[in-house]
Amino acid sequence: MLSIKELRVSIEQKSILNGLNLEIGSGEVHAIMGPNGSGKSTLSQVLAGREDYLVSGGEVLFDGLDLLALETEERAHAGLFLGMQYPVELPGVNNMTFIRESLNALRRARGEPELDAADFLRRVREQAQLVGLDQALLKRGVNEGFSGGEKKRNEILQMAMLQPKLAILDETDSGLDIDALRVIAGGVNGLRAADRSIIVITHYQRLLDYIEPDRVHVLVGGRIVRSGDKQLALELEQRGYGWLDEAAA
Amino acid sequence: MITAAQQSDWLLHHLSQSAGNLPGRGLAWLENLRREAARSVAQLPVLNRKQESWRYTSIDSLLQQRFITAGADIGGLENLDISRWMLPGLDAYRLVLVNGRCLPSPASSADLPEGVVLGSLRTALATDPDRLSAWFVRNSGRSDNLFTALNSALINDGALLHVGTDVVLDKPIEILHLHLGHERPLLVQPRNLLVLEPGSGVTLVERAIGADSSAAFHNHLTEIYLSAGASLDHYRLQDENQRSHHLCTLFLSQQEQSRYRGTHLSFGGVWARTDCHALLQQPGGECEINGLYTVGDEQLKDIHLRVHHAAPRCTSRERFKGILHGEGRAVFDGHIIVDRGAQGSDAQLRNDNLMLTRSAEVDTKPQLEIYADDVKCSHGTTVGEVDPAQLFYLRSRGIDKAQALSMLSLGFAAEISNGIRLNALRSYLAQRLARKLGGQTDASGMDSGNV
Repeated sequence: MLSIKELRVSIEQKSILNGLNLEIGSGEVHAIMGPNGSGKSTLSQVLAGREDYLVSGGEVLFDGLDLLALETEERAHAGLFLGMQYPVELPGVNNMTFIRESLNALRRARGEPELDAADFLRRVREQAQLVGLDQALLKRGVNEGFSGGEKKRNEILQMAMLQPKLAILDETDSGLDIDALRVIAGGVNGLRAADRSIIVITHYQRLLDYIEPDRVHVLVGGRIVRSGDKQLALELEQRGYGWLDEAAA
Repeated sequence: MITAAQQSDWLLHHLSQSAGNLPGRGLAWLENLRREAARSVAQLPVLNRKQESWRYTSIDSLLQQRFITAGADIGGLENLDISRWMLPGLDAYRLVLVNGRCLPSPASSADLPEGVVLGSLRTALATDPDRLSAWFVRNSGRSDNLFTALNSALINDGALLHVGTDVVLDKPIEILHLHLGHERPLLVQPRNLLVLEPGSGVTLVERAIGADSSAAFHNHLTEIYLSAGASLDHYRLQDENQRSHHLCTLFLSQQEQSRYRGTHLSFGGVWARTDCHALLQQPGGECEINGLYTVGDEQLKDIHLRVHHAAPRCTSRERFKGILHGEGRAVFDGHIIVDRGAQGSDAQLRNDNLMLTRSAEVDTKPQLEIYADDVKCSHGTTVGEVDPAQLFYLRSRGIDKAQALSMLSLGFAAEISNGIRLNALRSYLAQRLARKLGGQTDASGMDSGNV
């Protein structure tokens, strides 16, 4: 599904990713953990096509496509979805209209007809209920005046509507209380499928109690320094990241 | 650069060519008014960029053209099918002006409620001149610049609306200013008069649009009198073709506890200027003027507001938003004056601009001039670009850049468009904006009322 080889990325001449390698198979859930500043968010933004970063080396294949050669929207058309760590507010842009336009853009790109308005309405309401997003927020501006938790639920709602092949969730758990965390984890687990892969970026083992990963990777200094199964996350919880620095050095 | 002599020559040319056919000959007050105005044309200082309100505005492109005066004849237009120019889906009483001349009332105006007159100024000059003189007398001294003087000197026709005491209309009124092309550029000068008697209430939609791409200079002058407790919800849409020059001078005067709520939408024209003079003459008046303008290549939007608090405890709110793209230029000049005696005034003025390109330009200048000490006044202005994080967010959801920009622009405009209380106008606006801003679909970021 996703194959990252020797990826090197910098921003404003500061090197962030230094030869990152990662392989994710179809249907797998991978967790990426790591200390602040290790490059986790940079990785997710670069994969989604944020233009502020300079890719100086390496390659990324997504379903056989040269991902880095695609425009941001083309990556979405190909089935990539990034759940943002800090979803921006789009004042005056109606949330429901936004989700509908986005879904229809993907359908057009795939040569499918646009979704019938009634069908769309039924589905978006259904999904909003599943992720615990107040229906009233569908009629507001996108994320406009939403609480932190509501913004994250809105991300999961978009993911559920867009049905991506690869979802990257960038610290979706940050700032959530335990109930919200459960709902969001439920939303993610509901999407697990043989033809869909998920990358969960998190600081905390806690989320992984609810979303059980197939693999756990530790990102330090812009490289994956260790990979393992879910036991690795528990070990990190107990020992922190310091021992890995030593191991890496 | 047009010289002062060329400017005078231009004005006198247009003044003299149309003298023959004006209505109301023999009405002394009208002859006086025209004569005074014609004298002003000769005496007023020429417009130039040393004058504050013309500082950012060059009228050279206008003065380089010679126009022929429209409106002498509307023969042959009786059977014009105007239905396709109407605002779709709006159930309204209607009046249609073609090149500044009123067509005989369409059927939809036949059932106007008692106490309401909606029709041609020219007709009223023949049938009810005394009543008109009473309203027009208040106008004296208002030929404050060359263009208003030019309009006054050649008063011919325009929309007349009179709403009697305590009459509240059940349906909106639509006044359509339609421009039909002519082999030569036309000078179109409707003179509109709207009088609301005490306690009356109206929703009015005025639209200025062109049927083709021929050039014209539209020099509108509109006077609005709101008597005590009267209420006017006034939508004004200017959307003429790219070869049109459009100037709308609006004089609004408000009596005790009256309410004006204006929404001024301006999209078309090579040069489109609004000069809005609001006078809060008696206590407790409320004046709200919202506006939305877009400008692209070879367009200049020129907005001048002057809100004068002349009495205590009045409220005014001005909120204008601009979307600029290509090499579009805009001027916003908002001015609030609070007289010494106007204690308890509450005034706010805002202008926000979204720049879609680096080559667009806006000159924005809000001003407060306050002579009272117990007032609440504020003003603010912003000029900003699209936030890259917002653009990225939309694109990461599969929406291409052009549509994303269009959605963000519509979102920016939503504060104004969502305040439009007529669904028909709101959806028309959403479609119009999406088209103008180059969206791929009719994707509106704003709530068009059917979600």
